[in-house]
Amino acid sequence: MKSRRLTALAAAMTAATLIAACSSGTNSGSGSGDNKTLTIASVDQGSIEKVVEAFKAANPGITVNLTTSGADQYQQQIRTQLSSGTAPDVMTVWPGNGNPGATYVIAKPGYLLDLSDQPWAAKLPDAFKKVAQYEGKTYNAVFGLNGIGVVYNDDAMRKAGLTAPGTWTDLLAFCKAAAGKGTPAFALGIQDNWVTQLVLYSLVATTVYSGDRDFDTKMANGQATFAGSPWTTAMAKYQEMDKTGCFQKDPLGTSYEASQTLAATGKTLGIIQGNWIISLLKQKNPDGRFTMKALPATDDAASFIMPAAAGAGYGINAQAKNKDLALKFVTYVMSPEGMKLFNETQGSLPTLPEAGTTVDPGLTELTTFVKDNRTVPFMDQLWPNAKVQQTMLSGLQEIFSKQATSAEVLSKMDEDYKTGS
Amino acid sequence: MTLDVKERLPARAAAVPRRRQFGAPPWWFVVPALLLFAFVVLVPSARGVYYAFTDWDGLDPQLSFIGLDNFTAMADDPDALQAIWHTLLIAVAITVIQNGIGLLLALGVNTAIKSRNFLRVLLFAPAVITPIVTAYLWRNLLGPDGAVNSLLSTVGLESWQQNWLGDPDLALWMVVLVVVWQFAGYSMVIFLAGLQSVPREIYEAAAIDGSGPVRRFWSIIRPLLAPAITINLMLSIIGGIKLFDQVYALTGGGPGHATDTISTLIYKDAFTLGEFGYSIALAVVLTAIVAVVSAGQYAVLSRNEKAAS
Repeated sequence: MKSRRLTALAAAMTAATLIAACSSGTNSGSGSGDNKTLTIASVDQGSIEKVVEAFKAANPGITVNLTTSGADQYQQQIRTQLSSGTAPDVMTVWPGNGNPGATYVIAKPGYLLDLSDQPWAAKLPDAFKKVAQYEGKTYNAVFGLNGIGVVYNDDAMRKAGLTAPGTWTDLLAFCKAAAGKGTPAFALGIQDNWVTQLVLYSLVATTVYSGDRDFDTKMANGQATFAGSPWTTAMAKYQEMDKTGCFQKDPLGTSYEASQTLAATGKTLGIIQGNWIISLLKQKNPDGRFTMKALPATDDAASFIMPAAAGAGYGINAQAKNKDLALKFVTYVMSPEGMKLFNETQGSLPTLPEAGTTVDPGLTELTTFVKDNRTVPFMDQLWPNAKVQQTMLSGLQEIFSKQATSAEVLSKMDEDYKTGS
Repeated sequence: MTLDVKERLPARAAAVPRRRQFGAPPWWFVVPALLLFAFVVLVPSARGVYYAFTDWDGLDPQLSFIGLDNFTAMADDPDALQAIWHTLLIAVAITVIQNGIGLLLALGVNTAIKSRNFLRVLLFAPAVITPIVTAYLWRNLLGPDGAVNSLLSTVGLESWQQNWLGDPDLALWMVVLVVVWQFAGYSMVIFLAGLQSVPREIYEAAAIDGSGPVRRFWSIIRPLLAPAITINLMLSIIGGIKLFDQVYALTGGGPGHATDTISTLIYKDAFTLGEFGYSIALAVVLTAIVAVVSAGQYAVLSRNEKAAS
């Protein structure tokens, strides 16, 4: 008797609270409504702070509530905030598609403000426009450009008496010579699975895109596949590099962090990474000098292409509490002054030529490649969903640990690609 | 003075017939607690379960009801099946090894050895560290040039060096190792509490009657320790099935999917792939597994407990 009464009570309570919870609705716009406060959420830890300081100095009397977090955590929280109406005014948005915080993903349900009428939007070079836009409208203020290549530790190279290889054949000989001297050529920290893609992208840029600049369009139209394209060549070359001893021992047990230490302290001659690694290497070895070059993927140096793409930029919340100030901030980021500051603290290249950014001398080759239009965006930015990349990342770990073959991984990527967005 | 109190107590008890005066507490006393529980746990969970039957991407307010599709998709998803297998394997391994070691430690520090208090503190210490810190610590120790491999090379056992976290055959066991390292002391404390409630007289009487240590353990300590065993097994199996932090920090589920558990897969599917519906369906399955396993285990253990007492 007693327990039945309790059950009934519990049911009644649940129903009551359920109704209460449902009727509370989404009560957005809880802000105080003053026009002096701007809220920003960002993943640019270490660089956005300086930009915000400069922005505040240029606009006395305003308050900026800035929160920064790592990409994983950010992507998780921004979705919750957007769907519950509590997102900040300005937020990090990744270019293109293929990750949960990307322009296509967030612009599609209407969460981003259309920025097409901003003066910088028309000035963006085509390669960036493509990934800053969704259905022809610009939503993402992309301010920085990043590239992937081989970053050599100049001192370690001098000590080993070796010079940077210029062709694929040279590269393999270089790896053998380096390993013979007890300092392997490249540090590879693929315990963190996102690192696995960097060598592959460097190889794919040349092997796939030098022969076919329209590969992405063909993929989108179903006229090409990963498994039936030179992606297979790139995969094979990645494994050949591993077999030749291009990497230090146990890459799968080595973290991103540990790989930086290896390259910074000259335990390896270099590392295949993005240009952002240079400032991280200099933190670990302030006296070190580092130079970035394209990874030679074939024996025809004239055909080399480097992966280079817009890094994460900023979008404005369509429901921003302070739209004017948000626009002002984004305009500042895209101004020569703001962009230069952002690029220089971050070690990235500018997306607008007029910024006048002083580029690290180690990045001269990347700058030349960008100028000569010898770059392709990071492959995943034009993939239809996030799954393709995740399959590739864990697939590469499986290839390295002999749990899968590259043919299996590529056909699985094709399957995921076909499931669409 | 003391006499006074002693005299007064029974007198008061007799004067106030406690039972009749207060009775059992009225049923509606539970209302505030139940209300809070319903609001914080029941309702959100029930609302959450609804999304397991949708294709919600965590962002788009427009979602459609797709029935059991998420659950049938799981049967065709090798990653999910593998994760369920890993989860059960890890849970069983942790339960057996952690409690085995915990019991041995408890028996050890329950003896009269001199440093027993110091040892108790030392052995329990890892349990107070946050799991994520422990995992990062071990991630460094188990690296290719980490302390473990360095130690092996120092003592001349180079051939024993391994790629501990990068080898798919070893990585899962390293996860088990780290969890056991951290929580064996926790099991020990619970066993120790149980052991200390075993009356010394019974133990001594048995010794005088000529029973050996094994016999004494099996016939006296084990039955009297039954409640502690129940609690320890329940805690470690539930903890093992829900394991997330240690796996995520140690291996991130890798290499490939070699150490993915249901929890890490839930996280990845939701926050990396944006497949919230599917991920919530996985969470529902995880809840069901925890419920079934712990209910089954509780039934068996409490029957044993009764039989033992």
